[in-house]
Amino acid sequence: MSNLVRAELLKIRTTSTWWWLAIGAFLSIALAFAFNAWLASETLSGGGEEFGYTGDAASAPAQAANLYTSGQYLGLMFVMLIGILMVTNEFFHQTATTTFLATPRRTSVIVSKLIAASLLGFAFWLVTTVIDLAAGAVFLSLNDYGTQLGEWEVHRALLLNLMAYAIWTVLGVGIGTLITNQLGAVITASVLYLIGTQVVGLLFLLLSNLLDNMAVMKWQVVWPAAASQIMITPGENEMLPAWWVGALVLVGYAVVSGVAGILITRRRDIS
Amino acid sequence: MTDGQSSPTNDAQIVVSGLTKQYKNVLAVNNLSFTVEPGRVTGFLGPNGAGKTTTLRMLLNLVTPTAGTATIGGRRYPDLADPLRHVGAVLEASSAHKGRTGVNHLRVISAAAGLPRQRADEALALVGLTPAAKRKFKGYSLGMKQRLGIAAAMLGDPRVLILDEPANGLDPEGIRWMRGFLKGLAAEGRTVLVSSHLLSEMQLLADDVVIIAAGQLVRQGTVDQVIGSMAQGVRVRVRTPQADALTAALAQGPATVEADGQGALLIAGVDAPTVGRAALTAGVELHELTTERPDLERVFLELTAGKAGIR
Repeated sequence: MSNLVRAELLKIRTTSTWWWLAIGAFLSIALAFAFNAWLASETLSGGGEEFGYTGDAASAPAQAANLYTSGQYLGLMFVMLIGILMVTNEFFHQTATTTFLATPRRTSVIVSKLIAASLLGFAFWLVTTVIDLAAGAVFLSLNDYGTQLGEWEVHRALLLNLMAYAIWTVLGVGIGTLITNQLGAVITASVLYLIGTQVVGLLFLLLSNLLDNMAVMKWQVVWPAAASQIMITPGENEMLPAWWVGALVLVGYAVVSGVAGILITRRRDIS
Repeated sequence: MTDGQSSPTNDAQIVVSGLTKQYKNVLAVNNLSFTVEPGRVTGFLGPNGAGKTTTLRMLLNLVTPTAGTATIGGRRYPDLADPLRHVGAVLEASSAHKGRTGVNHLRVISAAAGLPRQRADEALALVGLTPAAKRKFKGYSLGMKQRLGIAAAMLGDPRVLILDEPANGLDPEGIRWMRGFLKGLAAEGRTVLVSSHLLSEMQLLADDVVIIAAGQLVRQGTVDQVIGSMAQGVRVRVRTPQADALTAALAQGPATVEADGQGALLIAGVDAPTVGRAALTAGVELHELTTERPDLERVFLELTAGKAGIR
């Protein structure tokens, strides 16, 4: 198995795709960090109500947590895309034949892709977090808010962020095995991730108005990207379920798509 | 050397038994059985759509058979402990990532198969691709791609080689290289199974042939056996302005004469000297007198006539 994971990581390292996605992730960190830093300084100097930040959300730890996870929104999409490409590349470039000749036990191939994907998700999280921590700590200190690095809320945000990175990469592998057409998988997943969340939120808002029941809003957690948002959102909110519900849903999606991917791949004729 | 070659035959023998693949609308392979022996090059022949590729892919566990089994050295491909050390395959619709270099392509496979890293360089040297090792796959010519495929197949130094249309895209020099390479591998005692529709090339390359059509076995044997099995053996082609006179002169003997439709006569049952003597005696002028031996191509076309094409 370690041979296979090594081979999967080598596959990623020996093409330029991951570079482009890493550059994309870096740019999104830079943009998001600048925005979040501005938001934090506005909020912490008393202007939080303009952005809807009141109470706990306007506290220094909450703002620090937000700052330290800058770039997460697009970063998660990029690691998902890497996960997708790890599978669809095999079909797009017709290397699936070679891969399954070297390893006829297809379950092992997909499992090793899932492991390699998690490792890669971890690496992306690590680099992102190091950049965010360094830049964030400097920014917060310079503005006399303190680094907030001792706060549980900050730790929690970083850990959940790690979980999100690992799960979305795994989810990407699952999506890739379900939609083997490279362009189809990439476009579908990106659109569903970026636009789908807003659309789903809107649909649930309409539905809750229609049924005159705000609790319906909580059900938007069934949407993976919404579940991801709910998982990383700190504090209580009557419109949203608890964070762990989001986490469970997200893990559920990862497990289901991973298992479905293995089952489908085992049966598939490679020609 | 009294031991060491405990079971050289069975170890690398390919046995296809009752193999069947039913796709939604097409019976691609129908109860196909044949064996492929080590130490020989076996040509796997059939018209387009005969089921050659499907058969090879079932042999390699890439396509699941509807019925039947295919084993290599007595084992199904997925049951081989180290498949790449037993079997090397070059298949159509098998490729490399366009943005990956040739040597990295081989390193990925070596890593997955648990082979030492330097095998990639050795395999490249074996097929003469070392100068292009660090070039990206998208810059490779068709011939270089085929060589890279063969290098990948040779990574594990396998006892069994399976190649699907390996001559495709090769120039004459490349084809000659391939012929020498495969014959050399067979001479080392390896099993070499090559599918192709280049029949003249196959006649030069193969020791044995397996001919299939419409998913079924048509003929299996050595090249000589298969050619000899044809009803129509040696014939004499004659071109003469006095066809009727020659036909009359040969009428007494065992010869059968027919027109080939292109102004020549095809005479069976007698040899060329007999025809020449009969012509001289009868005062018939000859413009051509050739002995025609059936070749693989003619045998193939007669055996598969009416079974080719899209099904």
